[in-house]
Amino acid sequence: MFIFRVSSEECASNDSRSERWIENTEHTQHNTPTHHCTVCHACSLAYRLYCVEPVALQRREEKRACFLTQTQSCCSMFPMLTLLSMFYYICLRRRSRSGTRSEALGSRRAVELGQRSALPVTVEVEQYGKEVLDFSSHYGSENSMSYTMWNLAGVPNVYPSSGDFTQTAVFRTYGHWWEKCISSAIPFRRTPPSFHSQDYLELAFEEPVYPTAVEVLETYHPGAIVKILACSLNPFSQNPPADVRWEVLWAGKPNKAVTPQARQFSPSIRQISFATNLLRLEVNSSLLEYYTELDAVILRGVRERPILALYKIPVIDINDLSDSEEEISDAGGLCCRSGGENRHNLGNGYFDRLPYELIQLIVSHLPVPDLCRLAQSCKLFHKHCCDPLQYIQLSLQPYWARLTDASLSHLQSRCTLLQRLNMSWTGNRGAVTAAGFCSFMKACGASLVCLELSCCHFLTEACLEVIAQTCPCLQELNLASCDRLQPQAFNHIAKLTNLRRLVLYRTKVEQSAILSILTFCPELRHLNLGSCVMIEDYDVVASMLSARCRSLRSLDLWRCRNLSERGLAELVSGCRLLEELDLGWCSTLQSSSGCFQHLARSLPRLRKLFLTANRTVCDSDLEELAANCSALEHLDILGTRMVSSASLRKLLQSCPRLKLLDVSFCSQIDSRFVQEISGLFPNVSIKKSFTQ
Amino acid sequence: MFFHYVLGFPLRSDVTAAGHVISRPVCACLRNTGAGEGECERRDGRRARQVHAHRTPSGMLSVLSYGRIVARAVLGGLSQTDGRDYSLITASCGFGKDFRKGILKKGMCYGDDACFIARHKSADVLGVADGVGGWRDYGVDPSQFSATLMRTCERLVKEGRFTPSSPVGILTSGYYELLQNKVPLLGSSTACIVVLDRRSHRLHTCNLGDSGFLVVRGGEVVHRSDEQQHYFNTPFQLSIAPPGAEGVVLSDSPEAADSSSFDVQLGDIILTATDGLFDNMPDYMILQELKKLKISSQRREEDCVNSPAWVVMQTGKESPQKVVTC
Repeated sequence: MFIFRVSSEECASNDSRSERWIENTEHTQHNTPTHHCTVCHACSLAYRLYCVEPVALQRREEKRACFLTQTQSCCSMFPMLTLLSMFYYICLRRRSRSGTRSEALGSRRAVELGQRSALPVTVEVEQYGKEVLDFSSHYGSENSMSYTMWNLAGVPNVYPSSGDFTQTAVFRTYGHWWEKCISSAIPFRRTPPSFHSQDYLELAFEEPVYPTAVEVLETYHPGAIVKILACSLNPFSQNPPADVRWEVLWAGKPNKAVTPQARQFSPSIRQISFATNLLRLEVNSSLLEYYTELDAVILRGVRERPILALYKIPVIDINDLSDSEEEISDAGGLCCRSGGENRHNLGNGYFDRLPYELIQLIVSHLPVPDLCRLAQSCKLFHKHCCDPLQYIQLSLQPYWARLTDASLSHLQSRCTLLQRLNMSWTGNRGAVTAAGFCSFMKACGASLVCLELSCCHFLTEACLEVIAQTCPCLQELNLASCDRLQPQAFNHIAKLTNLRRLVLYRTKVEQSAILSILTFCPELRHLNLGSCVMIEDYDVVASMLSARCRSLRSLDLWRCRNLSERGLAELVSGCRLLEELDLGWCSTLQSSSGCFQHLARSLPRLRKLFLTANRTVCDSDLEELAANCSALEHLDILGTRMVSSASLRKLLQSCPRLKLLDVSFCSQIDSRFVQEISGLFPNVSIKKSFTQ
Repeated sequence: MFFHYVLGFPLRSDVTAAGHVISRPVCACLRNTGAGEGECERRDGRRARQVHAHRTPSGMLSVLSYGRIVARAVLGGLSQTDGRDYSLITASCGFGKDFRKGILKKGMCYGDDACFIARHKSADVLGVADGVGGWRDYGVDPSQFSATLMRTCERLVKEGRFTPSSPVGILTSGYYELLQNKVPLLGSSTACIVVLDRRSHRLHTCNLGDSGFLVVRGGEVVHRSDEQQHYFNTPFQLSIAPPGAEGVVLSDSPEAADSSSFDVQLGDIILTATDGLFDNMPDYMILQELKKLKISSQRREEDCVNSPAWVVMQTGKESPQKVVTC
């Protein structure tokens, strides 16, 4: 009756579980389709095809240690079961739903009736965001309401107008410019092609509903949203449940709208089986011309579970299966029950003829979940897929929703040679704990060179201590937006003396910690202290940099509010190899002191210079840049009134490698001039933002 | 008839006055009375809808259109038994020095002055800002600074980023937010902010410069603000100067504002205005006009709009002229 993809004899899980599985399937034949059963790992495909209630999966304790399946089930291939399920539901719900099936299928809105009649009472609730709970970055300052992510909550302030307004939510980066900088991380291998997200935000609503529509009001350069997810957890409830599920409502590719005008983005979302009031939006602005700005998010949903989900049986898309995650089983439990290997010399077919390294090469192209699935298919692949050489680079960021402590502990045995680890965004809402992370680090961190821990809110001081102890060779550490990390935790970073790249964007690092880091890490090449509001005196930091970190190549001091010309002068005289310098929104730097001219003269290798919203940048600064920094590629002089067209033209002529020039809100530079020089210098992308 | 008199004489300063009356908690809904201007704010559950129906009259010169230009007047108060929380019934009006040319700005901006009225569940907040006109000589529009400051303070209040007992905090945050704008703002203005704490029935005020407020109870002025001036015609002011001119341009910190707080009662009238009102109208005239306002609980606010309540006095004339609004 049921078609099985792999017969139980070939199944790698030869232990009692497969017998249980067979038992349960027979049991299921007679029972209601909502009965669940154990999965045979290799045959999970078959399992999903006939189970109607995937929600039941979660209740098995094995599933807690696994990547959860995500796809809805499908009975369309099994007509008898379909009839069974329909009969079951028709019988149960005939009382309340008999006359309204067409209504329910046809329309999504229904008028609320006064009395509880036979007609269903499905009221569509429309809500604006209540509170932004978490996000990976934003353009604005930490205690401001201009261009910050908190503007996404509430009613729209700008829509339907278009433009660059302060009342919108803006991310920190756009386009591909930051990826081209030397300060960016090398991309990890094995990133699945379906994972495009660069930034995210989490928005909570007042009331949990079953979502029917999500509308995002984008007011400037729309097109960045690539994924919308819904969470089963109510962030305002007092007793959070133990397991938290994230379901993808919609996923798409990054694209760019034709014009930068405002639009209402309303993709068709999937139906989910739980009520949600927590949405997560993931964005990718790499195709956009300028910063994307979001005004509000509207969540439309119904309070009662729609019956639509039961009648409309989705067809399983084979491509969906590649997104879904299976359990990563315990490596120890998967011993194949084959006997001596000699008898099975040709048991693996042609694979036995291929050299070990070749199979390793083939397998090295698989993304991590497929690697885990392949490990369960037979002993040969198990050996290959559990080989630590496959786990030199490991990026778990695409799987942030499903990574748990148990998954980490299962991966431990394979990751002993780990060199580059990306766990950014993981540990969302308690799935990974500090203890689990620490034990993983102790097992696998000995040869770690690069560690990406952006937005990891489970990190504590103990975690950083463990990192400092177990990873002596660590060269890259990214703690961007780990804003719940206590200030004293950063003192441990000073023990990583080989550190070359350190990202502390939006953290609470204090002056004493950063000074000790700079003292003991003289190899620093890339340092990001953007929006570090707890550092009191950036002049001292700058002078320490110039004294100790002379090989510094890139420095991000975005929104450091008290750097003065004295500190800047010391910095540029000490760190002569600087190529990238971001001094955006540093309002205390005055051009009249000559600091920018001194900078231009001191840093001939300068490739990126951001002087965003420094209102004092003037013609003589540009002339010095033109004269000395011919390698300049990215320049941002947003918001100055003192720069004229002539000096801009001179700069463009002297810097042939210039690719990005942001002259937004420069009052002397009008759009006609911008058009003219865009024609003359076609390689330069000139940005001129507008407010209406 | 009166109209021609008004036309003949230039005004020295803009006049903006916002009158506010302590009242029982009721939503202030000022409807259009057909005069062509109105502002209606409705709160509907979660969402507040604001409908601004602010029609700009063409430059026609007629008594009717003049009446349209001059907005509604101060409203009287209600004396009701108290709900637990106090709230304000508000109205604002004003006109700029160039009102004759028919120039009218959007929102609550009158000439170089701007004002705002904002409500939060813990407090009602009113603010007035007077842009310093001297910037015009340097090519800077003085109204931009004051209008943006008031819009920013309004937004701060609506989002709850303030403490009711500290209007200076609102001013400081508002000023800081102005600096966070990508657009390079220039200019300066005075500011006066008044916060009614609903629970504690206290009014917290702060005043920087020569705008100010009056609190009138029972026909008598019970509180007033003090003017802050450096020297003649140079009040204390918040400013953003062009780079290089910071030493030359007067710039006071928000902390230099005068703060005060006191209790208020039902039926009090609070008048916040720029110096255009206080310089041109002596106290007794203001009190006279306010006395004429009688609001009973049956009358609706829109009827008060029609009541004769607005006086414009011409500087230089000995006896004041009266113009009746319609």
